[in-house]
Amino acid sequence: MEIFFILGIPLLLALTCLLIRNQRFLGIINCLGYLLVLFLSVILLKQIALSGIKESFLGFICLDALSAFFIFVIAVVVFASALYSVGYIKKDINIGAISEKKARTYYLLFNLFCCSMFFVPAVNNLGMLWVSIEMTTLVSAFLVGFYNKKESVEAAWKYIIICSVGITFALLGTILFSYAFSISGLSRSLNWSDMVPVAHILDKNILKIAFIFILVGYGTKAGLAPMHTWLPDAHSQAVAPISALLSGVLLKTAIYAILRFGIIIIKGVGFAYFAHLMILLGIISLIVSSGFILVQKDLKRLLAYSSIEHIGIISIGFGLGTPLACAGALLHVFNHAVTKSFMFFGAGNIVSTYRKHNMNAIQGVIKVLPFTGMMMFLGVFALTGFPPFSVFVSEMMIIIAAFTKGAYLIAVILLLFLAVIFGAFINHFGKILFGNMPKGMVKTTEPLTGKLAFLFLGLLICITGFTLVFIKGEWIWIVQKLFLV
Amino acid sequence: MQAVILFTVLVSTYLMVIAKRTPALIRSFRYQSFCLFLVTLIIALREHQLDLYVVAGLLFILKIVFIPQLLYRTIKKIKASEDLGLFINPQLSLIWALGFTYLSWVFSTHLIGQTDAVRVILLAVAFFVVLAGIFLMIFRMTALAQIIGLLVMENGIFLLAAMVSGGMPFFVEIAVFFDVFVSVLIMGFFVYRINKFFTHIDVNKLSRLKG
Repeated sequence: MEIFFILGIPLLLALTCLLIRNQRFLGIINCLGYLLVLFLSVILLKQIALSGIKESFLGFICLDALSAFFIFVIAVVVFASALYSVGYIKKDINIGAISEKKARTYYLLFNLFCCSMFFVPAVNNLGMLWVSIEMTTLVSAFLVGFYNKKESVEAAWKYIIICSVGITFALLGTILFSYAFSISGLSRSLNWSDMVPVAHILDKNILKIAFIFILVGYGTKAGLAPMHTWLPDAHSQAVAPISALLSGVLLKTAIYAILRFGIIIIKGVGFAYFAHLMILLGIISLIVSSGFILVQKDLKRLLAYSSIEHIGIISIGFGLGTPLACAGALLHVFNHAVTKSFMFFGAGNIVSTYRKHNMNAIQGVIKVLPFTGMMMFLGVFALTGFPPFSVFVSEMMIIIAAFTKGAYLIAVILLLFLAVIFGAFINHFGKILFGNMPKGMVKTTEPLTGKLAFLFLGLLICITGFTLVFIKGEWIWIVQKLFLV
Repeated sequence: MQAVILFTVLVSTYLMVIAKRTPALIRSFRYQSFCLFLVTLIIALREHQLDLYVVAGLLFILKIVFIPQLLYRTIKKIKASEDLGLFINPQLSLIWALGFTYLSWVFSTHLIGQTDAVRVILLAVAFFVVLAGIFLMIFRMTALAQIIGLLVMENGIFLLAAMVSGGMPFFVEIAVFFDVFVSVLIMGFFVYRINKFFTHIDVNKLSRLKG
């Protein structure tokens, strides 16, 4: 039952955007709506973890623990982003970057975008999964090109074209899956709940090729290198709360899609095939992103490349496939979503105050924006995997799993590049956070809702970091129960 | 009958690959979509399914009437050059296309074996159309050519879906159509924007964002 509200509330909120003119009021309604969604998603997660798979609406919607978990992650980031939007959009209106009317358009698109993302883990049919993911691209393209500048239009065009091509491959893969299913003599269906139990009798040859298409297709959307080229452009040009959504959860919805097909592949073809592809793409992503992170000059692009890195880590985690590694990877999905949104909020505040993206021209953030500066200082350590923050725990789980599995090379590569990226981040952020206040800048304060968004996410980063160390055993048990192994 | 249609699909795709100007490309796209319409109609007549008639109708409205019209109008309105901006000249493009045809043949025999000749040919043509779409997207410079390339890819996939696995579930088919419709509208919108900000639609020159 909760799922209907989770899918319905964003739609209702989108409708209110058409009716109500006051953008401030809209922002507040948004926050309340998504708080409710967050609350419902927690209930849903708890129910499904206890009772297992749940179908509703004539099998159109099918939820297992994996989908419930992704819905929960989306709900967390969307709530934080709605909270942050209130202050951010108001500031944009005050400085004249956008008009009142455009703020309404923003909220409308925001809600449609969130709605399409909630659909991705909820639907049962793999064709509808494809449609929902394509919908997320189409809606968010407007949000990427929102500021109507040369750069943002260019980013939006690249985003929509590259992702559409990628996703077309995914459709090809989906059709090959359905072909494999239809020649096996079973009734025609594209529902994953029907496919998983019979995966072992499907034609292996076709499944293998289909999965490559799926991986290229949804991998493009997930930002796995070498299909990542749209990602830094789109993330750096989007409105800051949207950058957080793109990086925090949009990439994760694509990962969810890969996992859905991955489960069928593991049953049908065997684990090694899935593992090799995921680890290969993961390592390429790690290598490519670390290079760009080292030489990066643009603040938001830096964070975008860091997303590619983390997606790589997640992909390696699933590729390793032991219960510990899968638990780590799933946790990393959550931790990265929370931490990266946190960082993008900070970057949004910095960029809108300094009106520059270039890190060489930004310094003394702690003096100009004390609150944001402090939060970013903590955030850098959280993002690069410093204890006691949550990213550390999930990265550790993946690395330990690699060592215990005997995949020493992978573990060493992972550690090496994490160290390189850590150094690069400390270097970049050391320069922009500290130093003297630039001439002509005054000390400014952030809006209250913006601060609340920081505190909400910051709390999650710290709490999960501390508690996970103690309940690691339960986590692995949950993952085993619901997933791959 | 089906052999004739598939042959027409092949020819129309070759025409697209060697087209130098946008209107010619759109015209060939229309021919190709018309073939798809015929294919769907034939299957619908054979299987007497209402769903398939609806799909055929939607295909006709969307890909033969609406989208080409929209693209023609865009060309007129933005007053950009009708040149496609070829990276590779038509002769060489044709050689590439022939290579793709062979590749997709090899690929489809590898995938489902030589036993079922009709299916192999269908699969090969469908893959070829997809490859030709990618080729158009990569080796033509204008934004409009990229949109058409994407639509060609989508056509190839439609062919694959319609003939290989007897179509997708009905509501998925409808949703995919809706998706194509919306994406063309949105891309058209962005073509206007690009034209407004850059005064050209040469995507090769969109290179402000780097690194």
